Amino acid sequence: MKYIIKNFKTSLLLAFSAVLFLSSCNKKMEQLSDAPVTPPTGLTLAQTMAASSDSLYYKLLVRGGLINKISRTDSIFTMFVPDNNAMRVFVNAASGGAIPVAAPDAVHSAFISGLLPAASANAIGSFNICPQAITTASIPATFPNFQYPSILNPAPALSAFLRLTTFPSTRNGAYLNNIPLLSTNTLASNGVIHKTAAIALPPSQYLWDRINTDATFSLLKAAIQRADADPTAPGALQSALLNIGANLTVYAPDTTAFKNVLSFLSGGALNPAMPNAVFAGFIGTLPITTVKGIVVYHIMGTRAFSNNFPTTVTNYPTLLNGAIPAHPGLGLRATFTGPMVSAATVKGAANGTASNVLINPTPAPGGSSDQFYLNGVLHRIDQVLLPQ
Amino acid sequence: MRKITSYLVSFLLATGFANFTFAQSVTVSGNVRNSATKEGAGAVSVTVKGGITGTFTDDKGNFKISVKALPVTLLISSVGYEMQELTISDAKTPVQVEFKTSNALGQEIVVSANRVPQRIMESPVSIERVSAANIRNSPVANFYDVVTTLKGVDVTTSSLTFKTPTTRGFNSSGNTRFNQLVDGMDNQAPGLNFSVAAIIGLSELDVDGMELLSGASSALYGPGGMNGTLLMTSKSPFKYQGLSFLVKEGIMNTDGKQRPTSPYHNWNLRWGKKVSEKFAFKINAELIQAKDWQGVDQRNYSRAATGGRVIAGNRASDPNYDGINTYGDETTVEIRSAVLNTIGGQAPFLKNFIDTLNGGKAINVSRTGYTEKEVTNPNTVNFKLGGSFHYKVSAFTEAVLAGYWGTGNTVYTGSERYSLKDFKMGQYKFELNNRYWSVRAYTTQENAGQSYNTTVATRLFNESWRPSGGSTGWYAQYAQTYLVGRLGGLSDADAHTNSRAAVDALRPLSTSNQFRKSYDSIRLLPISKGGALLLDKSDLYSLDGNYNMSHLTHNFADIIIGATYRKFVLNSEGTLFADSTGPISIQEYGAYIQATRQIVNGVKLTFSGRYDKNENFKDRFTPRATALFKVSENNNIRLSYQTAYRFPSTQQQYINLAVGSNVRLIGGLPGFRTLFNFAGKPVYDFESLRKGSIVQYNPAEFKAESLSSFELGYKGLLKGGMFLVDAYGYYGQYKDFLGRQVFVQSTTGLPIAVADTNNGYRYSIPVNSSVKVKSYGFGISVDARLPHNFTAGVNLASDIIADVPSNFVAYFNAPKYKANFTLGNSAFGKSKRFGASLAYRWVQGFLYQGDFATGNLPDVHTVDAQVSFKLPKTKSILKFGANNLLNQYYYNAVGNAQIGGLYYVSFGYNVY
Repeated sequence: MKYIIKNFKTSLLLAFSAVLFLSSCNKKMEQLSDAPVTPPTGLTLAQTMAASSDSLYYKLLVRGGLINKISRTDSIFTMFVPDNNAMRVFVNAASGGAIPVAAPDAVHSAFISGLLPAASANAIGSFNICPQAITTASIPATFPNFQYPSILNPAPALSAFLRLTTFPSTRNGAYLNNIPLLSTNTLASNGVIHKTAAIALPPSQYLWDRINTDATFSLLKAAIQRADADPTAPGALQSALLNIGANLTVYAPDTTAFKNVLSFLSGGALNPAMPNAVFAGFIGTLPITTVKGIVVYHIMGTRAFSNNFPTTVTNYPTLLNGAIPAHPGLGLRATFTGPMVSAATVKGAANGTASNVLINPTPAPGGSSDQFYLNGVLHRIDQVLLPQ
Repeated sequence: MRKITSYLVSFLLATGFANFTFAQSVTVSGNVRNSATKEGAGAVSVTVKGGITGTFTDDKGNFKISVKALPVTLLISSVGYEMQELTISDAKTPVQVEFKTSNALGQEIVVSANRVPQRIMESPVSIERVSAANIRNSPVANFYDVVTTLKGVDVTTSSLTFKTPTTRGFNSSGNTRFNQLVDGMDNQAPGLNFSVAAIIGLSELDVDGMELLSGASSALYGPGGMNGTLLMTSKSPFKYQGLSFLVKEGIMNTDGKQRPTSPYHNWNLRWGKKVSEKFAFKINAELIQAKDWQGVDQRNYSRAATGGRVIAGNRASDPNYDGINTYGDETTVEIRSAVLNTIGGQAPFLKNFIDTLNGGKAINVSRTGYTEKEVTNPNTVNFKLGGSFHYKVSAFTEAVLAGYWGTGNTVYTGSERYSLKDFKMGQYKFELNNRYWSVRAYTTQENAGQSYNTTVATRLFNESWRPSGGSTGWYAQYAQTYLVGRLGGLSDADAHTNSRAAVDALRPLSTSNQFRKSYDSIRLLPISKGGALLLDKSDLYSLDGNYNMSHLTHNFADIIIGATYRKFVLNSEGTLFADSTGPISIQEYGAYIQATRQIVNGVKLTFSGRYDKNENFKDRFTPRATALFKVSENNNIRLSYQTAYRFPSTQQQYINLAVGSNVRLIGGLPGFRTLFNFAGKPVYDFESLRKGSIVQYNPAEFKAESLSSFELGYKGLLKGGMFLVDAYGYYGQYKDFLGRQVFVQSTTGLPIAVADTNNGYRYSIPVNSSVKVKSYGFGISVDARLPHNFTAGVNLASDIIADVPSNFVAYFNAPKYKANFTLGNSAFGKSKRFGASLAYRWVQGFLYQGDFATGNLPDVHTVDAQVSFKLPKTKSILKFGANNLLNQYYYNAVGNAQIGGLYYVSFGYNVY
């Protein structure tokens, strides 16, 4: 019996120990982990810029007080960074030609750091920074351009959502607006950098400002005003051309183009050599509906830089399609030399030949193509486009 | 009802006069005491050998019995003691009986297996019994938990006092496939559908025994017993007399994990008084008060209409986080379509940017929720009050008028977590028990009190301090802030974090007066008026009777017949059922017959059949056949074919309740199709539509689900009675399985589209599945009586479901394997006053599927232990006990409370 009791006690001890051991290993509830997030590594945008050979633009960022912003690790940005060549051209223009393009970089740097207003530097820098990381893989190649906001809010007191927008594209190459990208997708820990061939300057004017003040477009202005005499929508076109929320492309016939077509329409009664005012007066006598139909045929409800034109003629709708959905629209075509557009045409449905876009992408007053405004882009053309 | 009662009273009186024949002349008195401890042994049966006269010892072991003449032979017996025979020749000197404890196994008498008393060894179906002695020696703090140590039992624990046992699978909080009967009364709340024996039923000191029938049992106990039946019986005041009390004081939360260490109070009181040989009464009460265990599962949950799952993420990483035990965050909106696209329309220059956010995918955002700890009252209170009057109308007929009433606060998991506050339920019965027949009339009166849906209440609270919708609503501000953040370059995660911080700047803290005042006003406002309060006051009225005709038919067979009538009166004032215009009545009735015959020596066959009819469903017939083969003395093999069924629950018939996951639970009866205009606006299967396939709801007959089950078992005493072995194996097939399916209806009447899975009305409708689900399993237990008063037991059970289609949610909820090991000693030490027991339970992890949440449960190991010390002079016992001794938190349903250690000391006086 003693043997039994002894064995029983031993068994009891073993059983108790086993129970305690097993009981002590209750598992915790099953946890599912988030997909592992790799902490950003490497240089920030600010550090990347500081280490870059594009030192002049870095000076602009410093001048504009943007280094802190692009140093933040809780934010992600896409930066469009002009190289030093582009910055030299910019400094030359910004200094009114006082600093030659070929001047030493120290001179350019001094101008940026000392003479360029800090507010301007901030606005320019902000316009070339977009929120979130946009690699070229996520920029569509479709027509028209991909409208994407910069971090520049021109009127924060008006709305926190207001932004000046950029138009990156991968159609026919890679561009910011109409500026070719020299290199793309340089990754930083808090964003991505694309290098540009020129600096993209933020627009400050509306389309109407150019049409209203540039004598080259005085007859276009007269036509718009005649169209806006429509009692059912008085001033609608001018209003759109002054609306920051609009996104338009205006194919703007110059006075010569208008005179030619009006002379033809008048059966020769009007001579192209006559003063503009005579033609403007004549426009004022034309049926409003006719004029309006022609004017809206020159405006697209999207923003089309010339580099986004197709390389073979392809038709796209205009504002006229709002009234006549089946209308074929305009036939666009661009010819490239390298990344730059060397020729572009726009053909109206009733025009015998295509109208030429007068290629000169420099800013106003001299520029005639890809003129960038708050609410659209303007291309000067040499014919009035006829819808029918 | 009044008519029925008057019939019963008349019957009682007639029976009384007819049988009122007591004519004894000599009174024998005596005392029975434990031979080892010299403690008076109460509730010991003292009967005249060969006669019908009998009595019980009182709480001090004293007895008096009148006999016709001397000498007389008395039989002294009680479970746990050796029976003694005494011949009395002289009545002048009181008899002193030294009662010796017995360790014999398999001596228990059970009633539920065949509705007649029989030795447990000879039960033709699997049955387990828990005696008052088992409860007394168990380490558990609440007697109800003893059930969990039985073979094959699974328990779902919603909270400290809300536990739902079952056998053979399909468990959940508020399981409707498992009957619980308290003194013959169905303990299911008629409106809320869960059985409440744990909180409203017997108090611990009044429990005489519990019998667990595993598997199908409808043939004898009617609808509902698909997976088993638990029968609890109370102590008769004729047998158990005197004042008893039991005070348990304990502590919980000792590690401060859920809340600071908190006390546990459990006070029991019982007084049984035999006023005369004909009249006795008892009253008893129990109070439990503690800080409840909590649901602290903050894992992220994908709350699809069906088949939800735990997913990665938390409040910081997932803007659409929906914590399992966090409430209010079920409100979710896709902010791109709800807000951002509108901004994009007004500011076209942002459209492309908005389109690129989150990679163009949906931007789902949930409201910020509150944890269970923040919104539920931590105080759990359970107060039970019961009593009965017993009158022996004759030597063979006893009338009983009894009532059990309880109230309390607890937490229940249904399709949501419900805080049952001031829940009340009373069960009142009148019955007549004759040796051949019994008649019982009872009613269950339910009152949900201030019970509310925590999910709904918290969602509504969020709406109260800041509405979700509107141009200045929570989501408008969130989305705008998010957009500004993204436009400013913030990462997606930081933009969400900033937005939430901004929009929740004025979010009331759960500890603030503002929160409490507003929350209280919502939870006290009926659901029908836009609040979260359940107003359920449903009732059940039942009348049943049975007649044992064996004394007339024993030459042919032992035959028992019985019948039942039940009437449900659903009354929730539109807060739970579709009863806003008035209470709903449901009637059902049934009858059964059972015949038992020993066909040859050692082979006994029993055939049963039951017929039931519910006014909303076709009638049902459920047969049962059992055979018992006596292999040798105390060794029996049992074989049974059992069937069971259940009519859809009252909720499955008539519920009309919008719940947290944007789904409305509705009943399956045809009237709901009219109510929600299914003819004008058809409804379609949600899951199919979400996958792009349009499958229209085609209503089929709504019917009872049923189960057919075969079982083979063995029970035997081995090694000279040292070991009791019980084993079974079963195979069952479920047919017309009742489940819920989610359908969607267009809000506009336009043809259904995939988008309607987000925008449409969602209905969860009970349907019968055409799938025939099979389940099978086994159980085996070995109990041993060892030297020196040691006892040991081990059991292992397995339940498996088969043939479940991949797209079918069966809610089987049973581990493949589970095991219990118990070790005890009822008397050790120098004066044999010490007792001790240890119970270890292992439950294998499994996939738990619930309407509230679905997920994998880990293995659970728990150890309970107790040491007791008897104080015979004062008839007292001191006990130190621990439930979940090692404080290893566990949970047995996703989203339910997590249970830690409970340590207590108890003092019991006159505990039988």
